[in-house]
Amino acid sequence: MKNIMRGATLLMLCFVLILSACGKGGNGSGSEPGGSANPGNQQDGKVEEITVAFPLVSTSQQDLQLVEDEINKISEEKIKVRVKFLPINAGEWAQRMNLIFSGGETLDLTFVSGLMYSNMVAKGQLIELDELLDAHGEGIKQAFDEKYLNATKINGKIYSVPTVRDLAGSYGLTMRKDMVDKYNIDIDAIQTLDDVENLFKTIKANEPHVVPLVPGGVGQSFRENHVFVDPLGDFMGVLPDYDNDLKIVNMYEMPEYKAFIDRIRKWYLEGYILPDAATNKTTTFELIKSGKAFSYMALQKPGFAAQESKASGTQMVTKELLAPVATTSNVTNALWGIPVNSKHQEKAMQFLNLMYSDADIVNLFDWGIEGKHYVKEKGEADHIISYPAGQDATTIGYNMLGWMFGNQFLSYVMKTDDPDIWKKTAEFNSTSRPSKALGFVFDASAVKTEVAAVSNVVTQYKLPLETGSVDPDKLLPEFIAKLKSAGMDKIIAEKQKQLDEWAKNNSVQ
Amino acid sequence: MTKEYRGWRWSAHIILGLFALACILPFVLLFTSSVTDSKVIVTEGYTFFPSSLSFAAYDYLWQNSKMIFNAYGITILTTVVGTTASLLMTSMLAYPLSRKDMPGGMVLAFIVFFTLLFNGGLVPTYMVYTQLFDIKNTLLAQIVPWLLMNGFNVLLMRAFFMNSVPKPVLESASIDGAGEFTIYYKIVLQLSLPIMATIGLFQALAYWNDWNNGLVFVTDAGLFNLQNVLNRIMSDIEFLSSNASMGSGSIIAQLPSETFRMAIAVIGILPILIAYPFFQKFFVKGLTIGAVKG
Amino acid sequence: MNTTTRRKRGARLRRFIPLYIMMLPGLAYLFINNYLPMFGLSIAFKDINYAKGIWASDWVGLKNFEYLFKTTDAYIITRNTLLYNAVFIVLGLLIAIAIAILLNEIRGKMARGFYQSVILLPYLISIILVSYLVYAMLSVDAGFINKTILPMLGLDPISWYLEPKYWPYILTIVHIWKGAGYSCIIFLAAILSIDREYYEAAELDGASKWMQIRKITFPMITPIITMLTLLGIGRIFYSDFGLFYQVPMNSGALYETTNVIDTYVFRGLMQLGDIGMSAAAGFYQSLVGFILVLVSNYIVRRFDKDNALF
Repeated sequence: MKNIMRGATLLMLCFVLILSACGKGGNGSGSEPGGSANPGNQQDGKVEEITVAFPLVSTSQQDLQLVEDEINKISEEKIKVRVKFLPINAGEWAQRMNLIFSGGETLDLTFVSGLMYSNMVAKGQLIELDELLDAHGEGIKQAFDEKYLNATKINGKIYSVPTVRDLAGSYGLTMRKDMVDKYNIDIDAIQTLDDVENLFKTIKANEPHVVPLVPGGVGQSFRENHVFVDPLGDFMGVLPDYDNDLKIVNMYEMPEYKAFIDRIRKWYLEGYILPDAATNKTTTFELIKSGKAFSYMALQKPGFAAQESKASGTQMVTKELLAPVATTSNVTNALWGIPVNSKHQEKAMQFLNLMYSDADIVNLFDWGIEGKHYVKEKGEADHIISYPAGQDATTIGYNMLGWMFGNQFLSYVMKTDDPDIWKKTAEFNSTSRPSKALGFVFDASAVKTEVAAVSNVVTQYKLPLETGSVDPDKLLPEFIAKLKSAGMDKIIAEKQKQLDEWAKNNSVQ
Repeated sequence: MTKEYRGWRWSAHIILGLFALACILPFVLLFTSSVTDSKVIVTEGYTFFPSSLSFAAYDYLWQNSKMIFNAYGITILTTVVGTTASLLMTSMLAYPLSRKDMPGGMVLAFIVFFTLLFNGGLVPTYMVYTQLFDIKNTLLAQIVPWLLMNGFNVLLMRAFFMNSVPKPVLESASIDGAGEFTIYYKIVLQLSLPIMATIGLFQALAYWNDWNNGLVFVTDAGLFNLQNVLNRIMSDIEFLSSNASMGSGSIIAQLPSETFRMAIAVIGILPILIAYPFFQKFFVKGLTIGAVKG
Repeated sequence: MNTTTRRKRGARLRRFIPLYIMMLPGLAYLFINNYLPMFGLSIAFKDINYAKGIWASDWVGLKNFEYLFKTTDAYIITRNTLLYNAVFIVLGLLIAIAIAILLNEIRGKMARGFYQSVILLPYLISIILVSYLVYAMLSVDAGFINKTILPMLGLDPISWYLEPKYWPYILTIVHIWKGAGYSCIIFLAAILSIDREYYEAAELDGASKWMQIRKITFPMITPIITMLTLLGIGRIFYSDFGLFYQVPMNSGALYETTNVIDTYVFRGLMQLGDIGMSAAAGFYQSLVGFILVLVSNYIVRRFDKDNALF
């Protein structure tokens, strides 16, 4: 035992030494000699290099460098900035970001996922952008309706800029066109969930091997794709009817919630729903493509039917069930921000400004290089493009998510899509109803303990209840009781406090 | 041979045979699923006798063959180098620890054991290896962090050394004037081939199956090992399928998602199965030599 | 201490210098790979703010630990973690030893090679794929058991992923199936290291096989069994995350019997992504394991000094 004590003391000693040694390293991390600066190219001294991080979905990265070079030609000339891409595989995004920030690595401009936004601000990972926007962000400000740019404010400051895309969301049903046609269904007549139920009845009766309704995505419940409240970020305390005089309630206790899961349960028992919806791992598109499924619920936007048809290789039609509303969650879904480690904050903002105002930059990001990755369609409007002859999305070597890079409204449109898509999207944004709490961002740091406990309770009950797999009469009361004991009320009280504060500061009545 | 012995042998065959079946069948299912038409999997579930075959998943992998072969190269290289280095380091630490007469042995054993329980976590380890030792985006990153040696193997080997190297043998060698290094190399290692083969196998599998180091320390795709490349392709597919509403339309259409996972597993495991009989020979041989000499 | 003993001690130490040198690479590696990053343990007691950096972030005492205890699930996750680990340690060892002994009885080189390689197969399949294979068995409408086995026995299909009561068995079977090959190889090596002469002598004396196993094999591999058990106890608050998260397909209805500390922490922090709180969980798990090992090691020492870890 004495030996062990000695060993332990020795360990403690090492420990203290290391702590002090690393302490220095940690503090000095600002001067980290990261190998990102890459001289060798002609550099006239004024051009500064910024590192730009974004998630990458396609495995075909081979042409990314070419696109980066093209973008640099423009940005070096216009704003004396050279960009260095830091593409991060989408599945690794959260972990890689964590390492970059903890390790104090160089990063000047980054995509920000909405789910992480308020956390990142609370942990001091992003800088305030207001002054930089005033100085260098003219193009960004012009690209937005003010209500949308303001929706990203936390404590009155902007920490990230949303990308220009669909900034509101409506929820609806996406159905296979062949069956809709076959049974002469008038989709415009479908208004309520009762109508949907009748539709499913028809499908079930005539197509016994087809499941009428499948989840909108792996691991998603039906309620998540039929949202009737403002989630205020995380659904822990929500705003009914997007207003409710800013009085926050627990969604799981709302009568509407009970009614919805009761209906889903009924559908489940009638056989309208995929039996293993709660544990299903097959993608929605595969389910549609294989002919097993008829429809799914999803968050919609203009051009959605075309997009989904492409993805599932099957003609789809959509019907809106819940009118479009703009909530903070919609707006902050995809953002761009400047990390606290950045040493070129102004340059980063200048480049970000180009991403919102320079059509060439946007299209390089979204589509690649003209002539190589796409060609302009002759005899069509200027913004209509197609793949070069003999090429398609699979062979092209450059695929990006358009909504991710700055101003999507400047992006060209594939000739297979609606040429007026951006006009329609802009209209969608401006006409959709703003939630009364649009612009409120919840900071959970004061109630972390409760959020962790409640998250567990929610994951336990959400999918079984909201896919109809279990009996709500038995489990819903249990669920609500468990939420209470996990501290849901405390989270709601904290959220209400922050919301009231926010309303006062922004003079929202 | 007595009746009793024959009985033992037969029951051994029966029990092991059943267990072996339980191990093989799932693998066969894995393989047939990987060549099943993904439509069939969606509608009929996984089956040993698919009604229609498709090699789409392998086709897609073949499109990435250049990347995959490069990754095989990295994996083989790191496995060979890493396992060798690891065996050396592990045994050289385990042998002295097994010597009960060495002063401080217990404290050192405790220091080794302590690492099995407490660790600083991902972020601090990342900081040590990137800021103190700049191994990010080098081949060392695929070999050194976490994998090179672990306390479990050290303690396991130590227990074997204590058990299977008779003290008198060491003492007589020492009296004959053999140095500690000679004793370690000529006697201890020769007497302990079974455990060397075992730890060697564990280490080789650890290197072969590792994806974490590549994920954390490597961003240069040229240094990705097999698991990194396969995981990356897989995670793309998973990300797209769980974010279906995010406008990734044209990209997802090109990915064979359902059977793909299986195909990936097959090409990850197949080389091990091919290499295993060769290894096995060494393994079994090592064991018998050890047994005879011991 | 007088000069003679000191000199004696010095001479004794000198004799061991080559041994100390031999250990240097290994110890250096442990220092770099394991001890240097241990400064990260402090994260468990901090509220990390990146603008301030890890070092200057505020100390928050035990606040990061609260979520582990302030929950009605605390009892369930602790109970599940402990019970599963206890079963895994005992059953895992017994089955691995049994297979190793049987394997040792096989004389044919081919047959032995065959068994030895196939029992390792499950270990090579990633846990995510295992979850798919299990799903192929248990799926409600397309699973092998519901579609083929139960009808054969005239039973109704079971919604496996909604019935918590089956999962302790399912998870144990999967764990044993996946891990038995691995630990069995350790014991095979141990058995093969036993001097053949013992068995030959026993056979001459007419000892039965069972007798040989009890009187020779078991005592000879006891040190290995003790060691593996002690190490297992050290990790008794940890669990194989993939087994408890992926294999039950994260089905909420099963949490009663599948939720363990690791899955609880993962689900709780998915949204928060707080490294302080996850570090706190690891610290707590390690500390409990550490105390338990110290106690059990002390007990082992009382019985047999040679079998203790340290």
